Amino acid sequence: MVSLNLEEMKMKRTTVVLSLVLLLSLSLLSATGSKETVEKKRMTFGGSSTAAPIIAGAIPAYEAKHNDVAITYETLGSSVGIKSLEDGTLTLAGSSRELKESEIALGDKAVPVALDGLSVVVHGDVAIDNLTMNELASIFSGEITNWKDVGGNDEKIVLVVRDETSGTYGSFKEIVLDKQKKAPTKEAIVAKENGELAAKVASTPGAVGYCGMAFASTVKARGGSVLSIEGIDPTSKNVKNGTYPISRSLFMVSKGEPGEVERSFIDFLLSKEGQAIVEENGFITIR
Amino acid sequence: MKYRKGLERSGRTLLLLSALLSVVTVILITLFIFSQGLPLFKDVSLWEFVSSTDWSPSAESPHYGVFSFIYASFVVTFLSLLFALPLSLATAIHLALFAKGKVKEVITMSVELLSGIPSVIFGLFGIAVIVPMVRALFGGNGYSLLSSSLILAIMVMPTLINVSEVAIASVSSELKEASYGLGATTAQTIFRAILPTARSGITAAIVLSLGRAVGETTAVLLVGGNAPLFPSSPVSMGRTLTMNIVTDMGYAEGTHMSALFATAMLLFVVILLLNGIVTFLSHRSRTK
Repeated sequence: MVSLNLEEMKMKRTTVVLSLVLLLSLSLLSATGSKETVEKKRMTFGGSSTAAPIIAGAIPAYEAKHNDVAITYETLGSSVGIKSLEDGTLTLAGSSRELKESEIALGDKAVPVALDGLSVVVHGDVAIDNLTMNELASIFSGEITNWKDVGGNDEKIVLVVRDETSGTYGSFKEIVLDKQKKAPTKEAIVAKENGELAAKVASTPGAVGYCGMAFASTVKARGGSVLSIEGIDPTSKNVKNGTYPISRSLFMVSKGEPGEVERSFIDFLLSKEGQAIVEENGFITIR
Repeated sequence: MKYRKGLERSGRTLLLLSALLSVVTVILITLFIFSQGLPLFKDVSLWEFVSSTDWSPSAESPHYGVFSFIYASFVVTFLSLLFALPLSLATAIHLALFAKGKVKEVITMSVELLSGIPSVIFGLFGIAVIVPMVRALFGGNGYSLLSSSLILAIMVMPTLINVSEVAIASVSSELKEASYGLGATTAQTIFRAILPTARSGITAAIVLSLGRAVGETTAVLLVGGNAPLFPSSPVSMGRTLTMNIVTDMGYAEGTHMSALFATAMLLFVVILLLNGIVTFLSHRSRTK
């Protein structure tokens, strides 16, 4: 009786294992079955992390239209991306800065696909409405710590910045601080998102921060205000005509003339649909 | 008959497989964290990683020191327990020994509700209420280790209350009666007889809450200030280990990413130690 039971138990166990194996192989089969038989053209683009959200948003939309192409975008930073064009690792690079003389000499070509502008926002009790680029750099490098030094009330400045890996942090550091050879201070509240930054600036007396232009309205809605820089208001118009100083273009860079797929991808970015993706991600359209 | 037994067998096998799945998951996660984190030590020495206070991952010459974050985690956890423990113990004693009927029901339900509130809500509550309060009382900008500790104190209270209530309620009535029989007052009975007997249960409650406090992320992220600096006082801004992982996770890569996983390794080891202590304590209380 006992031996019979054991035998039976073993059999049942085998059945369970077998059916599991069967199930697994079935699911594998169906997975391979659903794959397309068409060989896809695999392309690797890469570069700027600022431009990454735009390109990451554009890739699926582009692939939906060109189902014979599969694109990946590696976030490497603008300079590494452009360098990788040289050794052929990438065929198209995203860049958040203009090409250097040396890169143009190598035959690199840059096409602007989007504009990027940052607003400087302050808490409602900060009694100033304009800062110069110089003042801004001194404030965010921690040299000026009181609003009275830039014409405001006697109130301590509370800095609210973005996390170091964000494109917003990178843009601000490059445009405002790097140009004046200043380093950002760490004595600052770090916000992980534009929205969080807006909330913290709006609720902390004496606070100043920077965010994508689209988020400035959140601060305004909560009683904060948006500063003009060098007397210029942060509007898409002023970014497009190049007068607002905390702005820059985002480029797609190729070595020489872009190849067929690269060209059509750039054209897609510049199309109405591509520019809508640009806007969706908080950037400014090129036209 | 045979068929039923067979069905039972395969049912049991299925249960075993489900149980094994969680074991496998733990092992896989551990392997993953360590395989991603260990490569950091090719570029940065372990000593520099745990002892340096310089965290500047995106600088020209990057530095990856997490001592400030270890310290901040420690301070925040310690302070939150300091705030929460007296209140929670008082609540647990009240619930286990005195509360009856409707009052007990309402308190128990509130504590349960408190434990069900998502941490992001605690964080928003912190921004709206605790940060301005700390700013008004202690100066600074309000985003601070102190604010984080206050939020965490509220968050760990349900665990502290529930676990210690069970420990206190399970103290045998003979012991209480013996204490009263010797002419002890109620206060003496509680402090000299009941609490010492429930000690290991209460310790387990503390260690469990420590684990929760060390691991909490969202709420402290919203109120801690998150500046990667060594906090000079409880009212300074600070960044804990969990905050550090989640802040940079989005776009980090290469050595920076490894440094975040190495931070996770540290956290993992701390939580493992805490769990070990809980197991040890509950084992000891059972064998007693």
